[in-house]
Parts: sequence; C-alpha cells; structure tokens
Amino acid sequence: MNTRWRVRLLPLAATPLLLTGCTVPAQFRSRSDPDAVTLWYWNRSIEPELFRQYERDHPGVRIDDQIIGGDYSAKLRTVLAGQTAIPDIVAFNDNIATYFRAEEQFADLYEYGLGEVENQYLGWKWGAGVTPSGKLMGFPMDTGPIALFYRADLFEQAGLPSDPDEVSARMSTWEDFYAAGQQLQSAIPGTFLLDSANEVYISSLRQSADYYVTRDDLYIGDGESVRRSWNLGVQAAQLGVVARTNTFTSDWSAAATTGALATFVNAVWMKAVLADSAADTAGRWRVAQAPGGAGNRGGSFLGVTQASQKKELAADIIRSIQSPAGQVVGYTSLDLYPAAPAALTDPALQQPEKFYGGQNTNEVFAIAAENVPDFYYSGADDVLHPIFTDEMTNVAILGKDPEQAWADAQSQVRREVRHKMPWVRFEEA
Amino acid sequence: MTTTDISPAAQPAGTTPGSGLGTIQEPAISALTKFRQRYMAQYIAIAPFYILFAIFGLFPIIFALYLAFQNWDGIAPMEYVGLAQFEYLLTDRLFYDSVLNTLIIWVLSTVPMLAFALVLAFMLNQSIRGKSLYRIGFFIPNVTSIVAIAIVFGSLFGNQFGLINALLRSIGADQIGWLTSDWGIKLTVAAMVIWRWTGYNAIIYLAGLQAIPDDLYDAAKVDGADTWRLFRDITIPLLRPVILFTVITSTIGGLQIFTEPQVLFGDSSGGPGSAGQTMVLYLYDQAFVQNQFGYGAAVGWGIFVVVLAFSIINWRVLNRPAD
Repeated sequence: MNTRWRVRLLPLAATPLLLTGCTVPAQFRSRSDPDAVTLWYWNRSIEPELFRQYERDHPGVRIDDQIIGGDYSAKLRTVLAGQTAIPDIVAFNDNIATYFRAEEQFADLYEYGLGEVENQYLGWKWGAGVTPSGKLMGFPMDTGPIALFYRADLFEQAGLPSDPDEVSARMSTWEDFYAAGQQLQSAIPGTFLLDSANEVYISSLRQSADYYVTRDDLYIGDGESVRRSWNLGVQAAQLGVVARTNTFTSDWSAAATTGALATFVNAVWMKAVLADSAADTAGRWRVAQAPGGAGNRGGSFLGVTQASQKKELAADIIRSIQSPAGQVVGYTSLDLYPAAPAALTDPALQQPEKFYGGQNTNEVFAIAAENVPDFYYSGADDVLHPIFTDEMTNVAILGKDPEQAWADAQSQVRREVRHKMPWVRFEEA
Repeated sequence: MTTTDISPAAQPAGTTPGSGLGTIQEPAISALTKFRQRYMAQYIAIAPFYILFAIFGLFPIIFALYLAFQNWDGIAPMEYVGLAQFEYLLTDRLFYDSVLNTLIIWVLSTVPMLAFALVLAFMLNQSIRGKSLYRIGFFIPNVTSIVAIAIVFGSLFGNQFGLINALLRSIGADQIGWLTSDWGIKLTVAAMVIWRWTGYNAIIYLAGLQAIPDDLYDAAKVDGADTWRLFRDITIPLLRPVILFTVITSTIGGLQIFTEPQVLFGDSSGGPGSAGQTMVLYLYDQAFVQNQFGYGAAVGWGIFVVVLAFSIINWRVLNRPAD
C-alpha cells in the first residue's frame, strides 16, 4: 500500500514546486506593488497608522510595511546575503552595531539630508546609530531609559521614604540602595531588591559610557567600567539582596505580585510588562531615578538599504514618521519611549498613571533619558556580554568564586575574540 | 576568492530539442530520444523528491561543509580560515559540555521513559474498561505544542513559586533549584521529554504486545506463572525488536533536543552554568544568536560525528545475531 500511495501522491507533492517555479518573480514581493516602499519591522516597534498618515499626506506614495515575525535579524541577514528581496527601509534593534561591519550594505542617511534634524534628538541616541566611519546608518526610533521601580507600600512599612523624589535622593548610589534593601529585608523578611545579580550588572554597565569595546575596536571589558559593574553584581549576591529568579519568567511575575520583589531597576518598557504580570499590585508601585545614575536598555533604529532604488523617498519617510510628533504617537499607542526631547515634553506624555498611584512617571524617565552617557554598544557585544552574564550567574546561583569567574570570563573573551572577531584589539600588556 | 555565487540553479541540459518528428536524426540523438520516450515519465515521477532533496538536503550539506572553512557573520564578506573552525571546535569546552549535557539528558529521559511506557503498555493490554480512552489520554502529550509544554513546566518547576517546590515544602522537604542547579535543570528537561514521549512509546509497545499470541500467556498461567513472570519471561523477550526500535527513535530524538531548554530559559544559554545547553542549541546559539555561521557549521559537523558514532553503535546492536 505504501509504495502505491507514494506514487499517487508524487504529482501532488510536485504541484507547489511547479507552480512557484513558473511564477517566482525576480523579487519576492509579498504584495505585487513594485512602486511601494517596503519596510521591515517587528511587531509593536512602529505604529502602523504613521505609514497611513504619510500615504495620505503624499498621494501616490505607498508604503508596504511588513511585520517580520520570528528571528528578525536572521531574516534580514538572509536577504542581504542573497541580495534579493531586500526591503527599502529596515528596523534595527539596539545591537545595530552588529551591522556596522557591513556598512556598505546600508545608505548613509547624512547624504539624504537627515543631518538637518540631528539637534532634535538625544545626542547619545543619535550617536549610537552612527558607524565608526561616521555614516548615519540608523535613525533614532525609541529608547529605553532605566529607572528604579519600587513598591511604595513596602517601603513605608520598612520605614523607608516612599516619595519618588526622596527615594531618588536617598538611593542615588548602588551602595545606598543595598543598605535600603537590607533595612527592607529586616523589616519584611523574604523580600528582594532585584531578581538577579545580573540585573545589577546589566543596569550598572548601561549607566556607564564604556561597555566592552571602543569605537576603534579596542577591548576594554577588563577595564574599570565593566569591573565596577561586575563588583556591584557580586556584592548584591553576597549581601543576599537579590533573588535567584530570572526576568520574564513566571517566577518573576509571581514575585512581583506577591511582594517578594519589592523593587527592580529596568527600562521604561517594563512599565507595561509589570502592569500585565502583576495587575493585582496596581497603585502600589512608584518610579524613581535608578541608583547609580541614568542609563539605557534597548531601543531601536531605522535605516535604508544600499539596494533600495528609492533612497531619497525612504529617507523622507523615516524623517517624517520618526519626527518628534510621530514619536509622540508611537508613545501614546505603543509605549515606545521617544528619542526626541521635544516629544518628551509633549503634554501627551505628562499623564498621571493609575498603576503607579497617580504618579507621572515620565518626569523620572525624561530626566534619565536626557542624562544617558554617550555609550558604544559594539558589534562584538552580542558575543562578549553573555560571557560575563553567564559567569555572573555562576557566581550568584552556583556559588562560584567571583575572582575565578572573572578570570574565566576574561580568558574566554580572549579565546572567542581571537577566533570569532579578530578585528577586536587587545591592549598590549 | 570571489566565488560567492553558489547558485544551485544549474540549467538542465537539452531542454529544447527543437527538431520535429519527421526529420531524419543522427543515430546518437535518436538513441537519446528513444531513451527519453521510454524513461522520461519515470524520471519525472521521481524528480520531485530529488529536486526537493537537492534544494533542502544536499545543497545545505555541501554549503555547510564549505561554510565550516569560512569565517562569516552573515552579511560581511566571507573569509577563508582553513581548518581554524575545526581546530577551535576540538578545543571548545562549551561544545564538549553541550555533548555531555545532551547525553546525560538523553539517558535521564530515555531510560525511565521506556520503562514507564513498557509498564503502561502492559497494563493497557490487560482486559480493563475504557481502554481507548486511556490510549488517547496517553497519546495526547505527544501532540501538544512543545512550546506550551515548556511554559507550563517552567511554571511547575519554578524555584520560588513553582508547584513542585510548593509540594516539597508542604511535606517538609527542602525546595530544589529546578531551574538554577545543574542536575535540577537536566532533570526538568528530561521530565519534559518523558512526559511528552512516554505515551507515544507505550502505543508502539502496545502494538507489539498485541502481536504476542495469547496461547503463550495461557500456557504459562497453567504452569503457575504470576504476572511478573509473564512480563519478564514472555513479554520482554518477544518484544525485543520493538524495544530496539524505540531505543533507536529515542536516540534520534534525544540527540536533537532543542526546544525544551530553549523555551524553558527563553534564550539559547541553556540556563545557569549552561546545564541545559544541548548540542543543537549550541549550534543555534553560535550561528543564529552570535551570527558565527562558519563556526555554527563546524559545530554541525561535530554533531554529525557524534550522531554517526551512535548510529554505528545502534547498527552493531541491531545486527547482533539473535540468540
């Protein structure tokens, strides 16, 4: 029976192959509109209404905005490697620098006049989209300023200040924050400041200007900045002020709901995550300046591909939909935090929020956004950062000796860099 | 050096003969025409498989071999590095760890899974009520979305608020760091595999059991054998080929474990200490997270060697003369 059926099914199996074989065009356009400007982005990274608005304002222009699901960066790399079906406009995530080494694949937006609006955007955000050779590859979309989220009711119960301004002043350094955490833990046993030592490490690193590699490809992950953040993470683990859960797990949601997680430091986009996962705690949370200063986690960019035949128009679309006014729309509909100071002061952002007890949290985030240091998230960071966070996990959860973990991280970095990214240089000892 | 154009679309030769039937043809061409008339239909009939295989099977294999000699981040130009990727692979502690993790998880899951399945099948083969209901029930985990399973297991085995730890605490036992300790992670992943595949294997065993003639059992019962003796001395020996089959399929599945640890930890790190990082997850991490496609390809060939070794073991076991 088997072979018989197979024979019968063969023509059926071949049908789609033959059909596509006959009709595949040079470009795999999802909608057959060769005049449209195609744009790739991921879900909830741009408000689609902005595209429709642009089309209404510019009759004859059509924007084919395609939400790319799954592994966005793998798909973008695939079309760039195959040099086919390349969209005109593409979104980049905060690891935009992983594309810097292929900068000839993307247009320099300075050539299309976007430098004119540079002063309308936060300097550090703008700089993050500029390649080391000075090309504007990514135009600012949203940002992720970080802040301290805390439970005002638990703080009050522990005899700590609960007013955001007072909290910001009292816990301006990580050390002060830990001291407050110990006071909290002795008043309410079983509470924690953060979900893991890595959260301290990541937040502290994002508060500094130096990450792992400089703009001229020099490795500085053994330098003062990474080391300080590492020490802060280790200290948090040793003091026991951090829990052993992982962000975005159900353990995290449970901890946030039950009050075991009294505070956390994270980006502005955690506002919605928190409201979803710990809805029962509405009204009890507040937001203050993060201990250790302003920092940024996440955020994205828009760029134009070199393969595009409509670079001029594409650049104009970017300029329009990510104008300060466009970013206000992105914030009100999708919580995308603006990169333009003019948008940060827009009345639409100044709203009392019920989940945060009527606080206007934007006051806190806007100050943070303006004070983020001018950092460089290099193309090597996606490989180097996990080496450190993995070792931090080993210290905090598996009890590994911190000095051993640090040494292991450094030797692993050298090994992987030598092999995978020989363009990263080490300072001669 | 610039031979990056590896298009698989080689033009099939001689697609347009262009000559009418009535014209006089050279003997060679006429032989070709005869050959065509006689066999073309058959070749067309088998073509779909070979075309699909060439595109999705053969080409990736060849390209992966080519890629393993390059350093490539997916967009910048490829750079030929000779055997450097393999050299690195042979000294890569993380790769060996991932092989070891895979094997440990495979043993932790396969042994109890097949034991449970055998017992289940034996029980299902008895005359009990609602047999089909049980059979469907045991098979349902196998058709459940694996992502959903991983999320549910992540909640069950959560450290602070997981149901399993709540149970442990309620009976006065210490809670276990299921998702944070080396063995906890491996056991959790193994538990997911067991839960998903026990029913599937039980159904296969059941089919094997039903092929065992009842007379053997009846005769043994007359001789005074109890249930355990029936199971040990009749069921297991006669089921040997089926058991071998399930061992092989479990080996194939076990060496490919990927989704469970990936969804459980939400990334490709395999959790604290990389205790849940399997071979395939490591390949994915290197190629698609770190964009090291050259090294990812080399890891793929490393996995190939491991799988080959297990295939040889399996083959040896299968070809052992039955005693």
